Amino acid sequence: MKNKGLGEFEELILLAVCILDGSAYGISVKKEVEKHSGRSILLGAVHITLYRLQDKGFLKSKLGGNSEKRGDRRKRLFSITETGMQQLQAAQDVRQKMWQFIPQLKQ
Amino acid sequence: MSKKMKKGASIIRWMLSRTIDETLLEEFLGDLHEMYEERLSKGKFYAQFMRWIDAFHLMFGFLSIGPFRTQNTTFIMFRSMFKIAWRNALRQKQFTVLNILGLTFGVGTCILIGLYVHDELTYDTFHKKADRIYRVNQPNIWGDWNQLSSSTGPNVATALREDVPEFEQVTRLLSLGSQTVAIGLNAEHSTAFKETKFYAAEENFFDVFSFDFLVGNPETVFLESMNMVLTLETAYKYFGEDVFPENVLGRTVELKDYDGSWKTYTVKGIVSDVPHKSHIQFDVLVSLKSQSEMMQMHGWKWIWTAFSTYGLVKEGTNISRVEENIQVLPPKWAPPTTERIFNQSFEEFTNGHPWKLDLQPLSEIYSSGSPSVHSFGPTGNPQFVKIFGAIGILVLLLSAINFMNLSTARSANRAKEVGIRKVLGSERKALWYQFILESILFVLTSTLLAFFIVHGSIDAFNSLADKNISLLPHLNNPMFYGIVLLFIILLGLLAGSYPAFYLSAFKPIETLKGKLSIGFNGKGLRNGLVVFQFTISIALIICTFFVQKQLSYASAMDVGFARNNILQLHNIEQFGFDTEVLKTKLESNPAFTNVGKSFGLPPNIWSGDRYKAKGGDHVVQLSNVRTEEDYLDLLELEFLAGRNFDPSRPNDKYKVVLNETAVKTLGWGEKGSFDIDSPIGKIVKLASGDEDEFEVIGVVKDFNFNSVKREIRPLVIIHHFNDKVWDYGAGLSYYSMRLDQNTITNSSELLSLLADLEGEIAEIDSTVPFEYSFMDQEFENTFRSEQRMGTVLNLFTFMAIVIACLGLFGLAAFTAEQRTKELGIRKVLGANASEIVWIFSSEFTKLILISILIATPITYYLVDQWLNGFAYRTPIDLWVFAAAAFSALMIAIITIGYQSISTANKNPVLSLKDE
Repeated sequence: MKNKGLGEFEELILLAVCILDGSAYGISVKKEVEKHSGRSILLGAVHITLYRLQDKGFLKSKLGGNSEKRGDRRKRLFSITETGMQQLQAAQDVRQKMWQFIPQLKQ
Repeated sequence: MSKKMKKGASIIRWMLSRTIDETLLEEFLGDLHEMYEERLSKGKFYAQFMRWIDAFHLMFGFLSIGPFRTQNTTFIMFRSMFKIAWRNALRQKQFTVLNILGLTFGVGTCILIGLYVHDELTYDTFHKKADRIYRVNQPNIWGDWNQLSSSTGPNVATALREDVPEFEQVTRLLSLGSQTVAIGLNAEHSTAFKETKFYAAEENFFDVFSFDFLVGNPETVFLESMNMVLTLETAYKYFGEDVFPENVLGRTVELKDYDGSWKTYTVKGIVSDVPHKSHIQFDVLVSLKSQSEMMQMHGWKWIWTAFSTYGLVKEGTNISRVEENIQVLPPKWAPPTTERIFNQSFEEFTNGHPWKLDLQPLSEIYSSGSPSVHSFGPTGNPQFVKIFGAIGILVLLLSAINFMNLSTARSANRAKEVGIRKVLGSERKALWYQFILESILFVLTSTLLAFFIVHGSIDAFNSLADKNISLLPHLNNPMFYGIVLLFIILLGLLAGSYPAFYLSAFKPIETLKGKLSIGFNGKGLRNGLVVFQFTISIALIICTFFVQKQLSYASAMDVGFARNNILQLHNIEQFGFDTEVLKTKLESNPAFTNVGKSFGLPPNIWSGDRYKAKGGDHVVQLSNVRTEEDYLDLLELEFLAGRNFDPSRPNDKYKVVLNETAVKTLGWGEKGSFDIDSPIGKIVKLASGDEDEFEVIGVVKDFNFNSVKREIRPLVIIHHFNDKVWDYGAGLSYYSMRLDQNTITNSSELLSLLADLEGEIAEIDSTVPFEYSFMDQEFENTFRSEQRMGTVLNLFTFMAIVIACLGLFGLAAFTAEQRTKELGIRKVLGANASEIVWIFSSEFTKLILISILIATPITYYLVDQWLNGFAYRTPIDLWVFAAAAFSALMIAIITIGYQSISTANKNPVLSLKDE
């Protein structure tokens, strides 16, 4: 489990789920990532990643929140798990550490 | 709209429910729905399109990752079939490319033709009540009673309103021909325009026809006289590009009356420009009430056949019953008119012919192209539609045959695959599905490619065919997708069924032993199909040859007078009747050798009347034209008997000149009999009114005063100063000038001459629009649509040949591969390269020769039938067949040439060494 690092896109999705804090589902995650990264992504890509992250144990989910807008269908709300948070933190730490050693930024 | 949306959504729901795990379905569908609603703001088409993309993405995404992989066996089977199809396509690149190319050309041509035919058949369908509108046609009472005319007298409409309750509305439209319009006549800068799409309409016109009003009230606009409706384009033309339509309302427009006075009309409505797919093409409409004076004056209620009468029937009307019922109207209402005008009873006037009223559905007015008498607006040609439709199907068939041929030819390569599959327990049905699926995939790919090609080339096609076709509007029509899908499946089945049947029938033991690799059967059928393909191609080549030949024959035909270098000035009638001042001015111009006035110009002399020979009572229809002696000189007409009008004999203006056919029609003999029984001095008289008498002073040799598509009709040439004819002084008149070839030698001199003329005309009267034409060009124009269609036909023939050649190339390549060893051995045993080429190509040449033998009699028959429709036809020369056959043979030899030469030059060591 420990060696299962995070891909760049996975990291973005995880961050978005964190930001959305409880209201993260396919479309809101897609919009959040699009908003911050500036690129447009397909819904399918978001879903695939969400489920992969859930598989890895970084996310958990439950169904809820149906609305008229969705033709009365529920959405799957994702939230981050303990391990997910650790992974994210670990990824951030690695980066932070490496940034410190970039000579160009030392002046 | 919402129905369609649901339909798309339900297909997606079905698709996902078959492929995606149930636990995921709800949220996915919810997401798709939500996104769709959001994207609707960017356009419905976009939203739908993106929903499909997302749905596919979700489907494939969740099928490819492990835990979500479906256990649905059908899907797994399909995926494996796709995989095999893809691998096979990659393995045999040459065949794949040939197949795709052939199908793409075929499907592309078919789509183009389909769009063309659809466009031709859907004219006038934009009117909201189009399916209930009928035009009333009746016999051409001024000529051949067996011919229908698209116009009626004004009182057909009133009779229909009175007696036939099935009609909700009846409306009349009167073409006013060409009119001169002026803006700001009394202001300092007045501008004059010539309008040719000018009609008078009744108050209920817009109840029947749905033209799009920008400003103004369609219900009231024609209730009063002197009201006018303009198209937006015309409004811009009159009042400037920057004018707002609402500011045009209430502005006045002056219209020149036939007597030269001006009448003021008020603009009461602006409609957006008339759709090009309308047989009624107008720039200006005025209220028919403005013409009431003219309508009262004539009182020719049943015989002033200038009105197009349209009826809107009530919903659910049995139209054939109505048509039956209205036949009693002419005998009931017309007699007072015939008695007053002709002094004839109804029976005498109709002379036994039924005065039939024919109801023509609005949608057929354009596409049927008939009745041509008195019709206006664009007309279609049903013959072209039929010919193109047939070509579309043939070309499609050609490309389907290509596919069959190539698929069965390469079957040897797949025989082992089939054998192994069978050994491993595959049913024949499964193999069958595999091959059909491959065929459908090929067709699908080609169709998509074809759509791109058609979309890219449609502008070129439009300019070639003078059409206004676009692919894009169809893309919003769900029906269109349905048709395309059906088309793909059907064509896929058609092209794939034989290969599927043939390939799946292989016996596994034989194929695995390798028995099928050489000498497999199916060759006979393949050859038969090649013969069929080339028969069609050769037939098309011969037909296009003859179409071109007939067109050039007819347009270069001797029309009986010198039609070149004649410049024609229009709108002369607007200078009043006495135009001698203008004539003197024109005559003094050194650029002109002759100047003559006429009330009509070949090839557009359409007026005519009913005449009879004095002493007889056989009434005949003769064309007539009013002109002067100088015009006959200018045309260089040849006199067979008698003489031209002579200005020094004042009584000549009451005499007439006939053409040969008129003499014959009046029963006065033919050219050879003139010496014995001369028509000169005989009397021809009008068969109506006061029965005016005219003495014949000359007979001219027949000349084509109409397009050479028609036979020369009988013609009476009346002097324009003859004040006894009823329409004396009325009608459009022209001055024609023969250009002096020595003075006008190049186009810049011609341009400066035209500029000078324009100045001279403006000097005399600046409100007369300057308009000119050249007679030879007018004759050319009568063939414009045929010439266009000829070009389009060439294009389609070319496509057919390309497709047939692609197939032949593929077969040749295959045969070359099959016979490598045989030809290698021949070479080793001493055959030289040219012998090998001969052996190789003779196999195909034989097939082409058979095709030629089949194609020749078929096309002879078809061409003969087609040419029968022409008054003057080019002979069916045998050399055309020979030339077509030769060119087909050459094309075929060149196609297989590459293969045969490369095979012949192969080093036999290489071909024999492998294994």
